[in-house]
Amino acid sequence: MKRIKLWKMILLATLSLFVISACSGQGKEPASSQPQTETKEEGGTAAAPPDPLGKYPETVTVTEVMGFNPPEDPRTPKGITPEQNAYLKDLKEMLNIEVKYKWTVPSSQFSQKFSLALASGDLPDILELDGKNFEKLKKQGMLADLTEAYNDYASPTLKKYMESDGGFAMKTYSQDGKQLGIPAFEDPFLSTQLLWIRKDWLDNLKLEPPKTMDELEMVAKAFVQQDPDQNGKNDTYGLVLQKNLFFWGFDARGFFNGFGAYPSMGDGQTAWIQDGSGKLIPGLIQPEVKTALGKLQSWYKEGILDKEFALKDENKAVEDITAGKVGISYGEWWYPNWPLNLNVDKDPNANWIAIQIPGLDGPGKSLVPKIRGDKVYAVNKKMKNPEAAIKMINFYIEMGNKEYLNQNQAEKGYVYNWFSPRIYNPAQIETIYTEVNKALEANQTEITLDDENYKNVADVFKATKDYLAGDTSNASKGVNWGQYFSRAAKDGGWGLTRQIKEKQAFVNHEFYGLPTATQVEKGAQLDKLMQETFTKIIMGSSVDEFDKFVASWKSLGGDEITQEVNDWYSQQAVK
Amino acid sequence: MRTLKKEYLLHLMLLPGVIVTLIYAYGPMVGLVMAFQQFEPLSGFFHSEFVGFENFQYVFGLPDFKQVMWNTLVISVFKMVLHLLVPLILALLLNEVTRKWFSRFVQSAIFLPFFLSWTVLGGVIIELFSLSGPVNGLLTAFHLEPIMFMLDNDWFRGIIIGSDVWKGMGYNMIVMLAAIAGINANLYEAAEVDGAGKWKQMLHITLPGMAPIVILLAVLSLGGILNAGFEQILIMYNPTVYEGSDIIDTFVYRLGMFSQQFGPAAAVGLFKSVISLVLVSVTYYAAYKYNNYRIF
Repeated sequence: MKRIKLWKMILLATLSLFVISACSGQGKEPASSQPQTETKEEGGTAAAPPDPLGKYPETVTVTEVMGFNPPEDPRTPKGITPEQNAYLKDLKEMLNIEVKYKWTVPSSQFSQKFSLALASGDLPDILELDGKNFEKLKKQGMLADLTEAYNDYASPTLKKYMESDGGFAMKTYSQDGKQLGIPAFEDPFLSTQLLWIRKDWLDNLKLEPPKTMDELEMVAKAFVQQDPDQNGKNDTYGLVLQKNLFFWGFDARGFFNGFGAYPSMGDGQTAWIQDGSGKLIPGLIQPEVKTALGKLQSWYKEGILDKEFALKDENKAVEDITAGKVGISYGEWWYPNWPLNLNVDKDPNANWIAIQIPGLDGPGKSLVPKIRGDKVYAVNKKMKNPEAAIKMINFYIEMGNKEYLNQNQAEKGYVYNWFSPRIYNPAQIETIYTEVNKALEANQTEITLDDENYKNVADVFKATKDYLAGDTSNASKGVNWGQYFSRAAKDGGWGLTRQIKEKQAFVNHEFYGLPTATQVEKGAQLDKLMQETFTKIIMGSSVDEFDKFVASWKSLGGDEITQEVNDWYSQQAVK
Repeated sequence: MRTLKKEYLLHLMLLPGVIVTLIYAYGPMVGLVMAFQQFEPLSGFFHSEFVGFENFQYVFGLPDFKQVMWNTLVISVFKMVLHLLVPLILALLLNEVTRKWFSRFVQSAIFLPFFLSWTVLGGVIIELFSLSGPVNGLLTAFHLEPIMFMLDNDWFRGIIIGSDVWKGMGYNMIVMLAAIAGINANLYEAAEVDGAGKWKQMLHITLPGMAPIVILLAVLSLGGILNAGFEQILIMYNPTVYEGSDIIDTFVYRLGMFSQQFGPAAAVGLFKSVISLVLVSVTYYAAYKYNNYRIF
């Protein structure tokens, strides 16, 4: 008997020990893993004046996390890993900064993995955040004040970029005079919706590019019924859509805009437009949306949309475009560079053009945000050398200069889309457009420009030259055409977007603040409600379901969000 | 006590298992305090604010919750019943197959899908049942209207349940076949002498002989009544069929992962565990009382 008691006691003791160690382990984890992530050495530049590209005397280690896409350039060496990125090697040589990845995952899993890291408090030194996570970390006081680092270390080019919008974006990410993040923003007009349509199909059917919704409907019907690709098979449909109605591509934003309806900025962001009396209203619940849904419903019935669009993700949509099954898609300026180039390479007859989105009577107005880019770079408060982050941004911009061009090539292992923090020239595309056209008009054989934009401009110029000369020795016709028609052609992606900007044929999405409290809390809920209702209406439910949706949306948090957004608008927005 | 002394080595061998369970099953339970907190990740369990049952109120008050609960129950009850019935029938049938090679082949074929992951199978099933897929090809060949299986709430639920049963039936079938194999062969001989046919043998020998295993499987599966198959549904569903297939787990996933509302997500998790615990206890007790069957 006694023995068993002793046994039990021992068991109990071990048990409680485990429980205790288990909880304390969880509590301590963030702290205990921190020392490794901290930098080894303090600035070391105390005496010397701050140099944006100054080399640290002793190696500074910074930690990052990464969600990576495959390298964009097909010439990149196979099997290269993020740690082998040649940018990192140069960074070490030039600045003596060493990047350590705490983890890397495919970008599709990033937000999930990052949520977990956030939950466990195990954060890297340099953080690439979206507005929502920025807000969260800011609230918890986890972000370092970058004011001094930025003022002392930002290169003149970086400062020029940040001031190019009048300091608008920078202000969004500061609080009480403290700069808490460096935003990666771009020209907002890059978001302009265009209509991409197959000109060769129009020609086959002897149709004109559509200017109004009615004309578009006629064209789309013809694309379904009259065998536009003339292969004798009934295998084409009109407008490509995927399951997310408001996304970053192959979605219905442009279609709704054509009806004067402005439901969303894409990616789950509801659009906020002016109501004419100085207030902001959610575009999502305006009556125009109902009209547009009704039209989509009739298009669905007539087979202009794929019967199973609600099952398709963006990859499936791209497959249809590549395979020549569909001839119309709404989207931004970059489509020629992907995925239209794939179609061009597959079908030599394919000829895509961009036109301003058709509206009810004449071309319609696209929705354009005040700031484009939801990405911001911030620094963990625990990092000892916050200026290292600024220096790394300087470094990335510097690498675009002409002197690095011979070295900085994809086939030598430079994968630009893996490097972080990465800030682009907000006017990058515009610079490319004007510089390439200038060089073309002057019949130059090389780009004379000599600043940090050199690489980008030179790459497009080369592709343009090759495309116009029919030279496919460097890259396929599709790849050259994609570069040319997205960035340089006067009637191409950016060319047309510029015209639309000049004509002022746009409506502004006015809200550019960080997600409000209710948006963070109820956003996913409301988004699900919207997806479910809209998809069902398109597939045949009564259009009046929309009225019910509006009522639920308001009562489930929409009214609160509207209030919060308007509070922000009256207090903080720069009008 | 004396046995304990004799068998202490065996108990020692048990220790690693106990330790692993403690660390990985009991340790994380500490995290359940999140369910009662306004959990802020970087403040951790110790510094987040306690809010009592607010998280539970919030979740149960969400308009979708009733629907989600109902979907979970419908899908998982169908799955549970079919996961017992189908393997049972299969095992009984296979038991009567006399050609060894044939029975082995069928066993392997049925067991195979069990090893495939939903990530792969989900895609295959979506293709199979799509408008241009083989199933609809068959329908059109018989001059029937094609059906959008994956976009129709009733069909979709059926496919979720059916494909899960198809994928998992091999496992229970093997367990049941093992149970059949364990039945004393003398009983069959005796029955034959008494003039019982195959049918009677099955009713009076095979089925009662299998009963403990079937009950065990039922009891074990009851614990998972609120698990309607997270991975499978997450991969296969789409907004059109949310109404009929959004289950507690997918709901919590969206809550926790996308809205980062860890508190409410933990509250739902705790709620699920409590329901499971109650159900397992009740069935266990019932099985003991009415069938005199105990697992431990």
